[in-house]
Amino acid sequence: MNETQHLSSQFDEELSRLRTHVLQMGGLVETQVSAAIEAYSTGEIASVKTIVETDRKVNELEKAIDDDCAHIIAKRQPTASDLRMILGISKIVTDLERAGDEAKKIAKGVRRIYENGHLPGQYGVGIRHLAEAALAMVRQALDAFARLDTPQAADVIRADSDVDAEFKSIIRQLITHMMEDPRTITTSIDIIWIARAIERIGDHAKNVSEQVVYIVEGRDIRHTKEQSK
Amino acid sequence: MQIQDTPSLKAEARGLNFYYGEKQALKGINMPIYDKKVTALIGPSGCGKSTYLRSFNRMHDLYPGNRYEGEIRFFPDNSNLLSPDVDPIEVRMRVGMVFQKPNPFPKSIFENVAYGLRVRGENNRRVLDDKVEHALRGAAIWDEVKDRLQDMAPNLSGGQQQRLCIARALATDPELLLFDEPTSALDPIATGAIEELVHELKKRVTILIVTHNMQQAARVSDYTAYMYLGEMIEFGKTDEIFIKPQDKRTEDYITGRMG
Amino acid sequence: MKPLTTEQIRAVIAKGKFRDNLFKAMGVFCLALALLVIVALIADMVIKGADRFTLDFFLNFASRRATQAGILSAWVGSLLVMLVTALAAVPLGVAAGLYLEEYAKRNWITNLIEINISNLAAVPSIVYGLLSLGIFVYQFGLGQSILSAGLTLALLILPIIIVSTREAIRSIPAMIREGSMAVGATRWQTCRYHIIPYAMPGILTGVIIGLARAIGETAPIITIGALTFIAFLPPVPYTEISEGVNAGLFDWVMSPFTVMPIQIFNWTSRPDPAFEVNAAAAGFVLMAMVLSMNAIAIYLRYKMRKNIKW
Repeated sequence: MNETQHLSSQFDEELSRLRTHVLQMGGLVETQVSAAIEAYSTGEIASVKTIVETDRKVNELEKAIDDDCAHIIAKRQPTASDLRMILGISKIVTDLERAGDEAKKIAKGVRRIYENGHLPGQYGVGIRHLAEAALAMVRQALDAFARLDTPQAADVIRADSDVDAEFKSIIRQLITHMMEDPRTITTSIDIIWIARAIERIGDHAKNVSEQVVYIVEGRDIRHTKEQSK
Repeated sequence: MQIQDTPSLKAEARGLNFYYGEKQALKGINMPIYDKKVTALIGPSGCGKSTYLRSFNRMHDLYPGNRYEGEIRFFPDNSNLLSPDVDPIEVRMRVGMVFQKPNPFPKSIFENVAYGLRVRGENNRRVLDDKVEHALRGAAIWDEVKDRLQDMAPNLSGGQQQRLCIARALATDPELLLFDEPTSALDPIATGAIEELVHELKKRVTILIVTHNMQQAARVSDYTAYMYLGEMIEFGKTDEIFIKPQDKRTEDYITGRMG
Repeated sequence: MKPLTTEQIRAVIAKGKFRDNLFKAMGVFCLALALLVIVALIADMVIKGADRFTLDFFLNFASRRATQAGILSAWVGSLLVMLVTALAAVPLGVAAGLYLEEYAKRNWITNLIEINISNLAAVPSIVYGLLSLGIFVYQFGLGQSILSAGLTLALLILPIIIVSTREAIRSIPAMIREGSMAVGATRWQTCRYHIIPYAMPGILTGVIIGLARAIGETAPIITIGALTFIAFLPPVPYTEISEGVNAGLFDWVMSPFTVMPIQIFNWTSRPDPAFEVNAAAAGFVLMAMVLSMNAIAIYLRYKMRKNIKW
C-alpha cells in the first residue's frame, strides 16, 4: 500500500481516523462473538444483555463510518489506492455489522435454550469448536485489514471452507439426534440456528478478507473459487 | 467486463526528444494516440505535456532555437509529422488546436470560423455559409449565435468564445484536435459544456487534451498518459490508471501525494 | 513589530496625503503653464494676423505689397509635398517595419539595422537636405521640385513610421498570431488578415506624427531649393499651360514650389512691419493645418480601435 503522505495532512488524518474506527468496530464485534460463545458454554445469560447493548454501539459505528466515507468521497475525490480503501471500508463495515447481528442472534438463542432448562453441552456437538474457528477467522480478518496483509487474508478465505464443512457435519449430527429422540427437537432447532449464525459469521469474515485483497491489489475476488494466492 | 475491440492508431510518437535550445524538454517519448478516442496528458507543471502537445502541430517551428528528434507518425498515410520535408502548414491543416485562453480574432463570429476556409482559398459564399453553420453546430454554439453572426466575437462570454474557437478549429475538418488546457480559464458551467462537447466530438475526430485538472482527465478521456520531467511515466486506459495505476509515481500524483 | 494604533495610522495617512496633494498641485501647475504658453502663442498669432483672415489671403499669390500677399502657392505646395511624402514614406516604412518584425531572423545584422534606424531619427534635418541636394536634385536630376522635397521629407520621417509600425505589431498578442497559424495560414496570410489590420491604428498614429513634423520642416526644403517667391501654381494635369500644350499627369511633381514654413520665414525677414501680420496669419493657418491633421488621425484611430479587443 502507499505509505507516502498526502499533500493534505488533513486527508491523512481523516483516513487514519477511519481505519481506527473500523478496527474499533471490529474489536467490539470480536467481543460480542467471544461473549456469545462463553454464554453458550457457561450459561451466563446475564452477558446476553451486554451483547445486545454492544450491538447498538456497533450499529452506531457503522453509520458513522459510512458517513465519514461519504464525506471523504465528496471532499477529496479519492483515486487509486485511496478510492479502493474507501470502497473496501464501506463494504467491510457492512459485513462487521452483520456479524455483530449474528452474535446477537447466538446470544438470544443461548438464552432461549437455558430458559427452557436444557444444557446444550449434553448434545455433544462441536458448537464451541465451530465458534472458536469462526472467532479466529474474525480476528485474522481484522488483523489482515490492520496490516493490509494479503497472505493472511487468503488464509481466512481458505479457512471458510473448513468452517462450512464443520457446520454441515454438526447439522447431520443434530438431525440424527432429533430422529432418535423427538423430545430434543426444540433445543436442537435452537442449536441449529446458533450453528447457522456462527457459519454466517465465518462468511462475513471471509468477505472482509476479500475486501482486503481488493484494497491492496485492486483485484475483485468475490464470487470466484479463488482459494490461494 | 466490456468487450474490447482494439482501437486503431491515429498517431504515434516514437523516440521523441525535444530541445528548447540546449535544454531538453522531452525525453524519449513513445506513445500511441488511438483513432476517435480522447487521450489526456496529465502531470505537474513543467513536465512537458504542453511541449509534447504543441509538437503535434509544429507550433514550435514558429520560434527560433527549437529542435525535434524522433518521429510522430501520422496515420493512415504513415507520414512523419516532424520531418523537415513536411511543411508545418500542411501539418496544421490536418491538426487543429484550441488554446488555453480563448483567443477569438477581433472580427465577426462568421469571419472567425470562416478564416480557416479562406486561407485554403475557399471564397464561395454559399460554401462558407454551409461550413460555418456546420462547424458552429458541431461546437454546440449555433443556436446561440445564429442570429448574430456579424457581431464581434470578443463580445461573447468566455465559454462562448472558447466554443467559437473550437468551431474555428472544426471548420477545416481536422483529423486530430489538440486541446491545451481548454477550460482552465472558464467557470464550472462553461467547463461542463466544453467537456460535454469533447464527448460528442470524439465521434468524428481524434482528440488529445492537456489538463492539469485530474478529475477532468478522468471524466473526459479514454486513455491517460502521466508525464513527469519530460518523460512519459505511464500510459493506459483511464479507468485503470485512476483505479489501479501500475507505477508508484503515477499513483502518488493522482492521489495527491506528490510534494 | 506591534500593530499601529488608530492615531498612528491616521498620522501616516495624513503625511502621505500631503505629499500626494503636493505632487498633484505641481502637476497641475506644470500642465497649466504649458497650456498657457500654447494658448498665448495661438492667441498672439490670431491677434496679430487678424487683419489678414480673408478669403483673398488664401487665394492670393505672394506679392511685394503686404496687404495683397496671400498664401495660395504656399498651402498648395505644402499639401502637394505632403502627398508625395506620404506616398513615398508610408509603403516603404510599413513594409520595412513589417519585414523586420515578422520575417527577419534575429541576428546581429537585424540588431545593427535596428540601432541604425533609431539613429536616423536623430539626424539633423538640414543634413537630410544636403543629402537630397546631392542625390535627388543633382545625381538623379529631379531638380528643385516637389518630388525632391517629398522624397527628402519621406527619408526624414521614415524612421518614425518604421518604429511605430514595429511597436504596433509588437502590441498584438502572440496568441492571435498563433491562433492564425494554428489554422493553417501562411505567414503572409497571417500578416494580411490579422497583423496589418490590427496594427493599423498604431501605424496611422505614426504616419500622422511623421507628417505633422514634416509639414513644419524648413531647413531641408530650403536646402534643396524651394523658392521663396512664387507667383504660380504647379500645373494641374491635363490643363493647358501654354498654347496648344497640355500638362502631363506628373508635370506637377517636377514643378518648382514653395511651402508654408518658407513663406512664413520669408515674410518675417522683411523689414516692412506690415508683413508681420501676414506671417502671424500664415503661422496660424499652418497650426490649424497641423491640428486638423492630428484630429483626423485621432478620429480614425478611435474608429479603428473600437473593434480591436483581445
